[in-house]
Amino acid sequence: MVGSLKQARVAFVEAPIGRLVNLLVILAVLYVIFILATKILAQGPSYFLQILTYGVANGAIYALVALGYTMVYGIIELINFAHGDLFTLGGFISLFLLPIFGADASKAGTAGIILPLIAVFLVTMLICGAINVSIERVAYRPLRRAPRLAPLITAVGMSFVLEGLMFLWKGPFNLPYPNLLPTTGIAIGGATIGLKDIFVIALAAILMVVLALFVSRSTLGKAMRATAQDQDATELMGIDINRTIAATFFIGAVLAGAGGTIFGLYYNTLVFDLGFSAGLFAFTAAVFGGIGNIQGAALGGLLIGLITAMWDGYMESTWTQVIIFAILILVLVFRPTGLLGMRVPEK
Amino acid sequence: MQRRWYTAGAIIAGLAMVATACTGGTGGGGGTTKGEIIVASDQPTSGGDASDGIPAQNGIQFAVEQAGSIKGFKLTFKGWDDTVNGNHDPQKGAQNIQEMIADAKILGMVGPNNSNVARAMIPIANRASFVMISAANTNECLTQTFPYCEADTGTTPAKLRPNGVNNYFRIAAADTFQGPAAADYAVDTLKATKVAVWSDNETFGKGVADKFSTELQKKGGTVVVRQDFDTKTTNDWKPFLTDAKNKGAQAIYAGATSGTKICIPRAQMKGILDVPYMVPDGGVNAQCIKDAAESAANMYGTVAAADANQNPDAIGRAIDANGGNLPSREQVRKAVSETKNFKGTTGTYTFDPNGDPTSPTMAIFQTKGSPLDWVFVKQFGVGG
Repeated sequence: MVGSLKQARVAFVEAPIGRLVNLLVILAVLYVIFILATKILAQGPSYFLQILTYGVANGAIYALVALGYTMVYGIIELINFAHGDLFTLGGFISLFLLPIFGADASKAGTAGIILPLIAVFLVTMLICGAINVSIERVAYRPLRRAPRLAPLITAVGMSFVLEGLMFLWKGPFNLPYPNLLPTTGIAIGGATIGLKDIFVIALAAILMVVLALFVSRSTLGKAMRATAQDQDATELMGIDINRTIAATFFIGAVLAGAGGTIFGLYYNTLVFDLGFSAGLFAFTAAVFGGIGNIQGAALGGLLIGLITAMWDGYMESTWTQVIIFAILILVLVFRPTGLLGMRVPEK
Repeated sequence: MQRRWYTAGAIIAGLAMVATACTGGTGGGGGTTKGEIIVASDQPTSGGDASDGIPAQNGIQFAVEQAGSIKGFKLTFKGWDDTVNGNHDPQKGAQNIQEMIADAKILGMVGPNNSNVARAMIPIANRASFVMISAANTNECLTQTFPYCEADTGTTPAKLRPNGVNNYFRIAAADTFQGPAAADYAVDTLKATKVAVWSDNETFGKGVADKFSTELQKKGGTVVVRQDFDTKTTNDWKPFLTDAKNKGAQAIYAGATSGTKICIPRAQMKGILDVPYMVPDGGVNAQCIKDAAESAANMYGTVAAADANQNPDAIGRAIDANGGNLPSREQVRKAVSETKNFKGTTGTYTFDPNGDPTSPTMAIFQTKGSPLDWVFVKQFGVGG
């Protein structure tokens, strides 16, 4: 399959019309890079650093959501469309929990903010995990041996169910999310790196490193990798694949719950249909990096965040999405398996 | 909420002025032997819009009854409600205007309150040369032709007027005046000549943002940054705001509505730049204050200020035109279209050929006080 694709691509590239198209694409890319570079030089280094910070912080949030898509795809080859909405639900749940755990923006320090925030994070992550495991049990597990399209459609369905529930719960409006993080920052070379940005980037990085270690070192992580390679053989080895898949959904949702909470703390606003666009970009990030590949999802998320911030900061934001998807198309044309390659076995 | 009492108040005050002027014009009342002339109104006087419709209808009735008579004709009022199932309804409006036209004594009407109702009424009234004056419709496509009108509203000003002559007039400023009004206020009052502008890339939002930019440049100002966002997928305005700060923006203008996150960027300005934030009427509401969070103070919004109708005045001139006899509807329509320098409470009005006031009045609201709310600060005529 891959071989014939490669041949077709080589044939296209070698045909005269293919060469012309390639040349035009390369010229267009060089032109865009040239314009961007001129603008970056004109605006100075401190502005660049500032935009870079926003891009990395945004990218960190996309990466957390992208991990959920990529893990689920890696293990059962399902695009879990409900994942973006689970991310939003994480934000909604944490918003609900904040006053219960006594988080209060007017009280600074350990008792008012730090301890309640830790509790909110943990409980939100657990609740999201439990919800996602239930969704898997109800909507995906019965369809595991069904044609590929069936669970895809139930995933779309679950996405609408979650959106509908959030709509019923809080209505159609933007919800204010309390601003609990310090709004001060560290001045570096004319740019201000906000403590908020640092918090988001650091927390996302910690979660991703823990996840990567878990998947590569722990027994359950090994079981996940085995299930991804061959479910039947794994089952023959005495591994409970239902439990392993449920654990994958749980971990993905834990990250989405954390992501939703981080999003609320960072942007101080939530809306019930946030998951649609956030999910779309996160899924794109997963494909970007190589779906099924955990490091790839992190890299893809980071890149989408950076491209968005750079384009919004230097060029016309009307074209931001066009650029993201144009880059995605280019990457996939030259590397169909994404930047870091798919970790999905040949079947 | 602020807008409602304000609009209703302007209608009543304005109508009272018109009525007084007309009574004076009749030379101390005089007899009412020549017959009866009825001025009708169409407002949503029940349901969700009743808080707009009832004060408006009361104001019109008050003005007509205050005038009492006009050049020997008795002046009376008759009101219609365009509400169905609690909401203003274009079909009901169409039915109402047919009933008005069927009554030969009715020479004109005031209303409606909603632009979509007006869209259903205008063609029917146009065929009968029946004059309509609205104090509240702001959709620009009712009177002006833009490339997007057909796609957005399903019709054009020309299609609304099958007769080819205009019978629809309004005192409210069309949405197209919101951008220029904000630009005037930015330069003249806020002394902000360098402004960063963003829009939600939708018809209304991009329209007001473009017109704001044009007027700002006309007044010698500069648009330092201009961005159009897809607000469904944009969460982060900080790159735009940082760009604005670096280029010395003294104010930010947002062309959007609450449904397209108009005041979310205001909250993100905290810690980046602290300058006035200006919005069109799509942001002058409580949701915007909520979305702007800790930065909700010092925002400015434009709202179309409504004023009285000129119907009794024009009917008077139409009677004169017909040698003191009962004028035809066409004569009334012509008299209204020739209205020049009519003095209302909120300004002096002249209609342009489209039926729009040449110098409509816009009001500026500002967020201030505790608890924060939109407070009326100023109104002025735009253009003209």
